[in-house]
Amino acid sequence: MRRLLPIGLVVLVGVALTFTLAERYHHRVLTLVLVWATMGLAWNIISGYAGQTSFGHQAFFGIGAYVTVLLVVTTGLTPWIGMAAGLVAAVVAAVLIGLPTFRLAGIYFALATLAYPLIFRIVMEFLGYQEVPIPMIRDRPAAFMQFRDPRAYDLLALAALGGTLLLSHWIEGSRLGYALRALKANEQAAEAAGVDTFRAKMVAYMLSAAPAAVIGAIYAHAILFVVTPDAVFGVLVIVQTLVVCLVGGVGSKWGPLIGSAIMVPMSETLDATVGDQLPGIQGVVYGAALVLVMLFAPEGIYWRLRALRPARRAVEAPRVSAAAPRLDTTVAGRTPVERGAALLEVRGVSQAFLGLQALGDVSFSVRAGEILGVIGPNGAGKTTLFNVLNGFLLPDAGQVRYRDTPIHGLRPSAICRRGIGRTFQVVRTFPQLTVLDNVMVGAFAHETSPPRARERARAAMATVGLGRADDVPGVLTTLDLRLMELARCLASAPDLILLDEPLAGLARDGVETMAALVRRVRDAGVSVVIIEHTMYAVVQLVDRLVVLDHGRRIAEGVPNDVVRDPAVIEAYLGKRWLRHVEGLGTGGLGAAPQTPPRSGRRGEAASPRDPC
Amino acid sequence: MSVSDLAQYVVTGLLVGGVYALMSIGLALIFGVMRVVNFAQGDFMMLGMYLTYFLAVVSGVDPLLGALLTIPPFFLVGVSVHRALLVRVTGGGDPQRLMDAQLILTLGLSLIITNGTTMLLTPMPRGIKTAYATQAFAVGPVLLNEARSYAFLMALVLAGVVYVFLTRTDLGKALRAAADDPEAAGYQGIDVRAMHGLAFGVGIALVAAAGGLLATYHPIEPTVAVNFIVLMFVAVVLGGLGSIPGAFAGGLLIGLVQSLTLLVLPFQLQNVGVFITFLLVLYLRPQGLFGQRLRAV
Amino acid sequence: MQPHAILLAVLAAAPMLLAPPAADAADDFKIALVAPLSGRWARQGQLKKMGAEMAIAEINAQGGIKALGGARIVLREADAGDSVEKAVSAAQRALSREKISAGIGAWLSSFTLGVTEVAERLEVPWFTLSYADSITERGFKYTFQTSPVSSVQAEQALDLVVDLAKRNQQPLRKAAIVGDNTAATVFFFKPLREKLLKAKGIEIVVDEIWTPPLADATAIVQKIRSTQPDIVFYGATNFPDSIQVLQKVKEFGLKVPIQGVGAWLVTPEYVKTVGRELLDNIMTVTAAHPLKGQEELVKRFTERTGEPFMTQDPLMTYAHVWIIKEAAEMAKSADPKAIRDAVAKLDLKSGPAASTLAPGRIKYDERGRRVGAAPIIVQWQNGEPFTVVPVEYATKKPIWHGAK
Repeated sequence: MRRLLPIGLVVLVGVALTFTLAERYHHRVLTLVLVWATMGLAWNIISGYAGQTSFGHQAFFGIGAYVTVLLVVTTGLTPWIGMAAGLVAAVVAAVLIGLPTFRLAGIYFALATLAYPLIFRIVMEFLGYQEVPIPMIRDRPAAFMQFRDPRAYDLLALAALGGTLLLSHWIEGSRLGYALRALKANEQAAEAAGVDTFRAKMVAYMLSAAPAAVIGAIYAHAILFVVTPDAVFGVLVIVQTLVVCLVGGVGSKWGPLIGSAIMVPMSETLDATVGDQLPGIQGVVYGAALVLVMLFAPEGIYWRLRALRPARRAVEAPRVSAAAPRLDTTVAGRTPVERGAALLEVRGVSQAFLGLQALGDVSFSVRAGEILGVIGPNGAGKTTLFNVLNGFLLPDAGQVRYRDTPIHGLRPSAICRRGIGRTFQVVRTFPQLTVLDNVMVGAFAHETSPPRARERARAAMATVGLGRADDVPGVLTTLDLRLMELARCLASAPDLILLDEPLAGLARDGVETMAALVRRVRDAGVSVVIIEHTMYAVVQLVDRLVVLDHGRRIAEGVPNDVVRDPAVIEAYLGKRWLRHVEGLGTGGLGAAPQTPPRSGRRGEAASPRDPC
Repeated sequence: MSVSDLAQYVVTGLLVGGVYALMSIGLALIFGVMRVVNFAQGDFMMLGMYLTYFLAVVSGVDPLLGALLTIPPFFLVGVSVHRALLVRVTGGGDPQRLMDAQLILTLGLSLIITNGTTMLLTPMPRGIKTAYATQAFAVGPVLLNEARSYAFLMALVLAGVVYVFLTRTDLGKALRAAADDPEAAGYQGIDVRAMHGLAFGVGIALVAAAGGLLATYHPIEPTVAVNFIVLMFVAVVLGGLGSIPGAFAGGLLIGLVQSLTLLVLPFQLQNVGVFITFLLVLYLRPQGLFGQRLRAV
Repeated sequence: MQPHAILLAVLAAAPMLLAPPAADAADDFKIALVAPLSGRWARQGQLKKMGAEMAIAEINAQGGIKALGGARIVLREADAGDSVEKAVSAAQRALSREKISAGIGAWLSSFTLGVTEVAERLEVPWFTLSYADSITERGFKYTFQTSPVSSVQAEQALDLVVDLAKRNQQPLRKAAIVGDNTAATVFFFKPLREKLLKAKGIEIVVDEIWTPPLADATAIVQKIRSTQPDIVFYGATNFPDSIQVLQKVKEFGLKVPIQGVGAWLVTPEYVKTVGRELLDNIMTVTAAHPLKGQEELVKRFTERTGEPFMTQDPLMTYAHVWIIKEAAEMAKSADPKAIRDAVAKLDLKSGPAASTLAPGRIKYDERGRRVGAAPIIVQWQNGEPFTVVPVEYATKKPIWHGAK
């Protein structure tokens, strides 16, 4: 409840202004500030929180306005109800527009959204709705959203603003909010952590369309009095929305309010003071103000002010003891698989990219309770294999079966929720979220309530031995980053985790910590498939090995056998070394060489072709 | 509908598209090299129109030549605007935030230019009276408006010059390197900032020249940009963001679609045809006609 | 960073110091003018302002409003910009800042619809030259529409045109309707298309409406060429669109009578852009144009403003100011309600206002429409537009296109 205090404060200020402003025109300015702040907040839900910049949000604004007004004009339906119809129409439009358009990324999405209001505008003109005056109702005007007293419009807009602030606040703290922030920061990582990004985007889009439609209807009644396609579908609407959000700060519920509170009165004051005498000057000054704001605060005033607060120093936080609450890997409805039985089966998987056969007829299985290593020289297809396994790629041929059901073709987030987690070669963080929030994203795979997700996340962090819950990933060491990613993975309660080079970039003690952790995780009941290059660690850590070379599986078995397999040695070191080893008759790949190889290189038993 | 009628529609569309094409190349260059969405592109075009107009009225210079003469001064204008303003919101940092900042900054610039011009030059529409605006070449039954034909040819020539510059000269290659991979380009000793300035300068010069060509048959007023800015963006996207030949093709395609839409839809819905084409291209082939294939996930 | 922050703060603060309004005598009579003074329609707004200023200068020179002790008239203009939001804001601003006795504006019919709502709520009489029927179909008491409405224009203008054609032995059998989908054009074409032409036995051979801006006029003019109508009803209110069509007509060598609908076709910019030969004999229907006997007025206007000739916008705004003056004299008050009542009772048959507007009578009916308002047909001759029909007001004789 306390967190709602700022919103309450804003509403109070709004009410105070409503009752203290004297001039009618000032009330209009106040109404406009509230209208554009609300529209900005609506836009912020999809473009700020979810990071899907939209240039077409005026489509919903216009739908709200037109549906409401046309219902008044044609059927005499009161706009109080008509507005609800407008809202529904806008949400339906959001679904229809979002379905094909969310497949596009970044600027393409933004430009595609632009097309819709442009089309609506032309169609409205074609249908003969160039000018739809709102009929003035003289008896019981309030029933038709018509008020003689401008303060009523202020309060109406304030109510819309308050509602949208509450909506934003709710989103920020909810599962959806985490999902949006995650997908905005790194869509792939979010999918791998169990976030159904398409669904999250759609829900966000629908939630953003609703307030836009409502405020569009209010705008028509309070400000325009006559609805034209240009006034509600036109580019000036999205320009105003962008201005208030980008000047104020995107991604925060306060940004649009700040932006609107500054830019709208500035614009109106310019009109009122110099604009009438020197027409055009107001445009020049306003334009200059925009330029200056962007030079001074390109991220928006809200973020700029927040950045001015002294930064916290990165402090090495004490490692939490590993003897902490046990990680709960049970999930309702999921039966445990018998140890040793095939958990994941890969059958004949092939994948080609533009003529290059990245994977060719790869088959193997992962048994429940084991640590399976996947090794192979550079370019062998290991990461591609992982991308197929967790759903980023659809194989050209073959099947992937998990718990005896096919999973190839499912979204990564669906695969994650079924129980397969994944970490990445280069850690993919959600940079703007705290460590705890990063891990919570994974926890939401099976939790809907934020407090429970937080618990799960804390347990996961305790399991991996990571403190630093409130730091941002940017200040973490490589080891801590990997721990964080693993915690995020574990928080989604997987049965099987795919670790892509978790030891890369770690020093000796980091490698040991990580390896010990992997064993612990397996002992807790989570099967592990691990891609690695650090030979000596892999050989000691895994139960079995699968070796890939040029996309083909060339060996599978226990480490002892695999490292002596001639095909494997040849793949890593070439024919010459193979002959050398055969000549030596010694331990093969996994052992330290008795005599240095002819090339004169010294070092660990790791392959001289140890990839970067 | 006879073949010659259809041919007329096609020819008309291509001629209109030629000037769209030239307008769009400037935008494509700026976006391709700097990843800047220049909201003010159309307003620089408008200024180019005015310069061409004054050259015609004061010095009697034919607008086709006048369009060429706008290139040097507007190149300098572009470089200056980049140095003074854009350099602070490009080149490094969160791309999303930067794009947002550029949008608003160039929007502000657009407001300044449009309103400043209204104040200084008055909103009275001007026009250059040329004989060839109302004359046409007859190629069989098909009529090619002379003004638009000359504009088309000049657009083609200028686009060709830009293309040769980008692909054959060292400076052009440096520019493309800076676009493809600024970091790597930097390591090669290419001054990426200077390349950005160059790209912006050329982009502005091109759109000013396009304005000059437009002025051979289109009236000139401070708010003329608003009719073309959306089409410019659509053309660039159709061609493939960052592809110069693509933007040219995109412009031609838009002209063609506008014209051919008249055969299937009521005239009022002419631009709906363009926007639907735009959506279809984005949905089916987001990289555009000539753009790089977007990397798979 | 710092200099920008400072500059921004200064920029933000400066306009906040509201400029104090110009000091005027407490008993000045204030008229508001809401019109586009910046943006796409700035030219039209500025023309209106010129007309208003001329009337005000004349009235003040003659001693102001006698019934109010010689009160001077003062114009309070407010920029409607290029959006309905800005136009309505301008009206709010103008009407709440000071005591306004009457207002004029806002040229574009959608702006006028919004502005008159404000005026109606604030009970200030408002005058407009917009044509849209809808303006006076809302049951408003404070809106006065001086132009003949579009539906009336369509009917009466058609009669005049058909008559003119007949007298020149060129009866109309086939007509083309060509124009954009802006409200004024749409409201004129609708009755034309739906009943009026049929009633006269005229066949519609081309009916093409476009959404501005027009990319290219070839397709439209091609259709005109291939169907060979006897007259083209023409409604291209967007200047670049209109220029393109006219250029294309010349390019195709078409000789067809063009009958415009609206005053947009007779502005000086046309001459400068396409030249007088192209314009010759093109006609248009307007609500007002200098009539026979107004040469003196026109001369004063052109000398004062440097404009080559006077057209509907400044002319009607000029008339509006005079009408307001007469109402004030009658009401003996500057109170807007009293002015409104006076306007409702007004019946002027002489004076600067009445003589400016055909048929020479200023009286408004209960809806706010001017009684007997009749359209004028204006024709380009030698690079200048003249009133040609009705004959009693004509300053030049009409030349029917193609008549030898």
